[in-house]
Parts: sequence; structure tokens; C-alpha cells
Amino acid sequence: MIMVKNLTKSYGDIEVLKDISTSIAPQEVVCIIGSSGSGKSTFLRCLNLLEEPTSGDILIEEKNIIDKSTNINKLRQQMGMVFQQFNLFPQKKVIENITLAPIKLKKKSKKEAETQALELLEKVGLSEKADAYPSNLSGGQQQRVAIARALAMEPHVMLFDEPTSALDPEMVGEVLRVMKQLAKEGMTMVIVTHEMGFAREVADRVIYIDGGRIVEEGSPRELFANPTHERTKAFLSKVL
Amino acid sequence: MGTTLDVIKDAFPYLLQGLYMTVLISVVSIIISLVIGLIACFMRMSKYTILRYPAAIYVNIIRGTPILIQILFIYFGAPSVLDIHLSAFTAGLIAISLNIGAYNTEIFRGGIESISKGQMEAGRSLGFTYSQTMAYIVLPQAVRRMIPSFVNQLTHAIKDTSMLSVIGIAELTMVGQSIYAMNFKSFEILTMVALMYFITIYTVSLISTRLERRFVIS
Repeated sequence: MIMVKNLTKSYGDIEVLKDISTSIAPQEVVCIIGSSGSGKSTFLRCLNLLEEPTSGDILIEEKNIIDKSTNINKLRQQMGMVFQQFNLFPQKKVIENITLAPIKLKKKSKKEAETQALELLEKVGLSEKADAYPSNLSGGQQQRVAIARALAMEPHVMLFDEPTSALDPEMVGEVLRVMKQLAKEGMTMVIVTHEMGFAREVADRVIYIDGGRIVEEGSPRELFANPTHERTKAFLSKVL
Repeated sequence: MGTTLDVIKDAFPYLLQGLYMTVLISVVSIIISLVIGLIACFMRMSKYTILRYPAAIYVNIIRGTPILIQILFIYFGAPSVLDIHLSAFTAGLIAISLNIGAYNTEIFRGGIESISKGQMEAGRSLGFTYSQTMAYIVLPQAVRRMIPSFVNQLTHAIKDTSMLSVIGIAELTMVGQSIYAMNFKSFEILTMVALMYFITIYTVSLISTRLERRFVIS
């Protein structure tokens, strides 16, 4: 599904990602953990080219996205992204946030898009908020709308960039519940997170990134119970 | 020469015509200047130097020279070398539009840059191109924030048109000058002229306050 080969990313002289290689299988749920500044968000943002890699290859469903001939806009339609800061469109109602891309990019009729949006809102438990504006929603509700917005493009992969880090603690659960449901339905997911409990419960694989490198990866059971690297041990002892 | 009331009564229709010209030039040039501002703004934000530099030079020249010089330059200066003829009206329109356009460039840029980067990223991550994201997502938000500044520019445009009297356009100031040159009632006439400017501009700011209340969301 996703294949990353020798990915590096530098800002000037500072190398934030160093020779990262990994792959993600269809329907796999991968959690990326690590301390702030480790490069884990940059790695995620490279997967849909919100950050331009300095070198290396990224293949999404066999297409090399580094290749200039690849239509990145088409490709991003198949990769949903959820941001730490939600980034809903404040001037648009919840339902318009969700229908905008399907109407403009998939040429769906307004009616078709709205029917789909209402289904998605029901899925994330916000049917009654269709006509609200984002500013009238709580953080957790906004993030669930953001997930619905990304799902409306019927993506093959969902990328989550610290989806619960900007939320009040009591709202984290409602967002994680939606993500758990998605995982159960077989969505391929790459999640940068600080929620170790969630990673342990939902992830098929956990990747620990430190200093721009993959230090260790494995099933949550192995990685959390028996980390092999000193750095992983040190990190986990702080967060668990 | 009659009473003050007669002076006012006689002058009023002519001043009203002058005011019409003032408003006409202001409104047309603010519209043109919005187009100029939008284009120059995207040039200034472009990653290509070849687009960025001309826009930056344009903005800096306009900001760094008096509008009176700009008007004289476009009416007398440029046509003499370029071998073209511009009517005073056209030259005036171009001068005011270019002048306000430069300030609009910076207003657009400031407005667009004030919208969080996350909006652009959210649009791009859904598969929209840069231009689509600008058009559907960023600009609609930015323009709301810019409304007060644009109205401010309109009031500037109205006042700046009084400079066009130097190239003989019959706008409000010019008409006023011609009248008191004949009847020597400079106090009465200039008071009327000033009042007519004031009422026009004050009306514009009232409308703007209502617009702001309607469109500006926090």
C-alpha cells in the first residue's frame, strides 16, 4: 500500500528525517510514536507531500509520488488527512465542510454529496450538527467533523497527525472511539500519536522514531512489553 | 452678486456635477484597483522571482512617490515618450487605479497571510490544487477580514481624486475652483465643497460599518 525507501528530509543543514524505510500493508493500522521534535509528524506529512522529501522514494499503491509526473492532487484524494488543529473551514457549515471536496473534485451532485455527508456525520455521532458552524462545536466535535470530511473523499488511507493532542482530556475518548471504529472496518491508517493506550489497543504495528530515524518497530505487544533498544526503553519509561 | 443663499443655490448644480465625476472616478478606479491588487498580490507571493520583483517594484514606487507626481507623470510624462495620447479622464483613472492598486496589493497580501497555514494544508490534503484552495477556502475568509481596509481605500480614492484638478478634470474640487474664480466667494464655495466630500465619505464609512457587522466573523 505504502512503501517508503531511504526517505530523508532536511531543512537547510538540519536533517530531520534520516534514511527512513518502511512499508504499510493494506488495512494495517500503524501508530508512530516518539518525543516532540523527533520527526514523526514530518514523516507523516511527507507521505502526502505536504512536506517535500529531500531524497528517497515513496510509493503509494505502486505509484512513486516523488516522480514529477505523478498527479499529486489526484493522489491526495485517496489519502485522507486529519490535523492536530482540525483545520475546518470556519466560514462553512459542518455539512459544507464535508461536501465541498466531493462536489468540486468528484463532481458529485449536491444532493448525493449531502446524503453521503449525513451518513458520515451519523457515523461520527454528529447528525444533529450538520447546520452548525465549526466555531460552535467543541474541539472533539470539530475533530470528528474533520474525520468525516476526510472520509467523504473515500480515501484508501487515512493519515492522522496527533489528532487528539489539541483536545481537552475529556474529549479525547470520543475521537479515539471514531478512529477505533474506522480501524475495525479495515481502513488503512497511519497515526502519529501520544496516546499509548490507544496505540497498544488498536495498532497492528508501532513505530518508534527518534532523532529522525526509525529506532524500533514491531507489534504493540513486543514493543511496549519488551523494547530492545535503550532509547525506546527510556522513552517508554517516561510515557507509560 | 446676491446673498449667501443665492451663491449656494447658483453653485449647487455645478458642484453636484463635479461630485458625480468624483464619485464616478473613485468607484471605477477602486474596482480596477482591486483587480490590480489581486494580481500583484499573487505575483508578490509567487515563488518565481520574475513575477515577484516587478510587483515589489511597482508597490514600492507607488508608495514612495507623491500621488500628484504620479498623476502628472501619467498625463504629461509618459505620453510624451511613448507617443500616445491619453484623455485627462483616462489618465486620471489610470493614476488613481495604479495608486490605490499598490496599497490593495499589500492589503490582499496581509489578508491572505493572516489566514492560518492549516487552511491551505487542509484544502491541499483533500486534493484541491493551490488555486482551488485559494479560491474556495482561503480568499473567502481573507476578503472578509479585508473589508474594512478596502472601504478605507475607497475613502482615500475619493479624496485623492481632488488632485485630478491639476490635469483639468471637472471633478468636485476643480468645479469649486472655477466657481470662486468667477464670483470670488471662496469661503462659501470651499465650505460647500468640503461639506460635499465629508457627506460622501461619511456615508461610505456608515455603509462599511454595516457591512462589517454583517460579514466579519471573529
